[in-house]
Amino acid sequence: MIISFENQLSRFLGTIAIFTAIIVVLFPFFWIFLESLKPPSLGGRPDVWFFEPTWENWSEIVLNSGVPLNILNSFFIALITVVISLICGAPAAYAFSRFRGFHGARYSILAAEMMPPAILILPLFLLLYKLELIDSRIGVIIAHLTFVVPVITWFLIGFFDEVPKDLEDQAMIDGYTRFQAFYKVILPIVRPGLGAAAVFGFVLSWNDLFYSLLLTGAESRTLPVAIASFWTFRGIELGKMAVAILIAVIPVLILSYSIQKHLIRGIGGSGVKY
Amino acid sequence: MLMNAAQMHIKYKLILPLVFLLFGIMLYPLFFSLWLSLQDYRLTRINDVQFVGLENFGLIATDPSFLNAMGNTISFVVGAVILELILGLSLALLIQKLVIFRGAIRSILLAPMFITPIAVGLMFRFLLNSEIGIIPFYLLKVGISLDWFGPGLALFSIVLIDVWQWTPFMLLMFLAGLEALPKTPFEAARVDGAGRWLTFSSITLPLLRPVIVVALIIRALDAFKVFEYVFAITRGGPGNSTETIMYYIYQTGFRFFRMGEAAAASILLIIFILIFVILIVNLSRPKVIK
Repeated sequence: MIISFENQLSRFLGTIAIFTAIIVVLFPFFWIFLESLKPPSLGGRPDVWFFEPTWENWSEIVLNSGVPLNILNSFFIALITVVISLICGAPAAYAFSRFRGFHGARYSILAAEMMPPAILILPLFLLLYKLELIDSRIGVIIAHLTFVVPVITWFLIGFFDEVPKDLEDQAMIDGYTRFQAFYKVILPIVRPGLGAAAVFGFVLSWNDLFYSLLLTGAESRTLPVAIASFWTFRGIELGKMAVAILIAVIPVLILSYSIQKHLIRGIGGSGVKY
Repeated sequence: MLMNAAQMHIKYKLILPLVFLLFGIMLYPLFFSLWLSLQDYRLTRINDVQFVGLENFGLIATDPSFLNAMGNTISFVVGAVILELILGLSLALLIQKLVIFRGAIRSILLAPMFITPIAVGLMFRFLLNSEIGIIPFYLLKVGISLDWFGPGLALFSIVLIDVWQWTPFMLLMFLAGLEALPKTPFEAARVDGAGRWLTFSSITLPLLRPVIVVALIIRALDAFKVFEYVFAITRGGPGNSTETIMYYIYQTGFRFFRMGEAAAASILLIIFILIFVILIVNLSRPKVIK
């Protein structure tokens, strides 16, 4: 018995439903993985399940394509974006959580988070064009900051809200300044929150297509843009597309698995009281 | 009243970096966008920019493709969000009842929401392709012939892809919501002999309402931004049956180089989203019982 319904029929149907959901989620990955191991001659054959697996597509992508550079770009851009977001977001989130008079500020962070990229891309593109920063990693970092900073700040407000105020009061009685109390007492306590926020921000930046598509060129192209270029679907390319997809997907799956239990508090922020 | 840096209250010092950053990367671009929407600004004639007042808004509001894109986006958002809500809630209730493997199953079912959307788009384009896709191939074997990305079905297929990727988000929210529910009302209901359905509809649902509203708003606002699936699969086609508002703005600004009109369209989009949020928040406010 894996599901606790009293009624035998509901138990049966419930089990079926769960299994169906698992298969629906896992099958696409499984099929893409199979495709990545198929020799190019069998690429795109829906009837072929058994074949001599080959790492040809993988080695072609890893050794003989621009994808490693794209991975580096994506990684570098996401990393810098997250670091800047934490440096600016963490002190502010702490202030929003602790001091009065920031009620409106909290909601403007949420509003910033919801801002459609369509309205920001036009001015950003023109500005970066004038500054000759199109096809530069800096340009993409600036664009990614527009959505990673609000998300990380919002994420952290929730974590700071849960730290009891007595802690820094005690620290300040012991002679710390407010800033030292924040830096030396509170920050270490919310380290799991900082980590979760950083991972979440990293994943968001890593996954972005819209900004990267318009702001990058050959030099600064990120992985999602590179994946999008497999659009033509030529039979030979399918295996390579599968590899590129898996390369983009596997790191974020591992990363986000590590922060699952923190996600709710982060996304809901302190705005969601259950 | 002037303050020098040393006198400034610590709370302002703490938010200073964020304020500077957000001014630079959000507020300034926003105003730039507003200005842009009032100009005849074309990337092809960058030295010949003219003030045209509200003309761009008139052009956009009467442009059949804008209205079509708006209509497609609304159908997409409504369809996707409702399906995700129902599926997410059902799965959350089922997972809560699981006796074993609960953690593992939850992790598996949450996975899609973290994946690069463009990869999801291409993955399903491949799986559903009428010539090389495995799903149509086996559907045909049992006598069902569907052209997933043909006229009529394409927008629905994109809704399904969104459902695949984002039902996990609803699931995540509802699992947390269910876990945080107070136990007493349920015990009282059991003592009173209330059935499963009655307990669900008169206790679980009302108690979950705040979580449902938040999840709906976050998901709907996100769904308005749908771009990757369209870009990965149909590029707006067949015809313009899957052209969404983001894709429309992308085309207007970066394929036809009409930045002024694209800015006007994005501002109309924001206004629309604001109205939508206010409506949802008001509609979902619980009625005050005296």
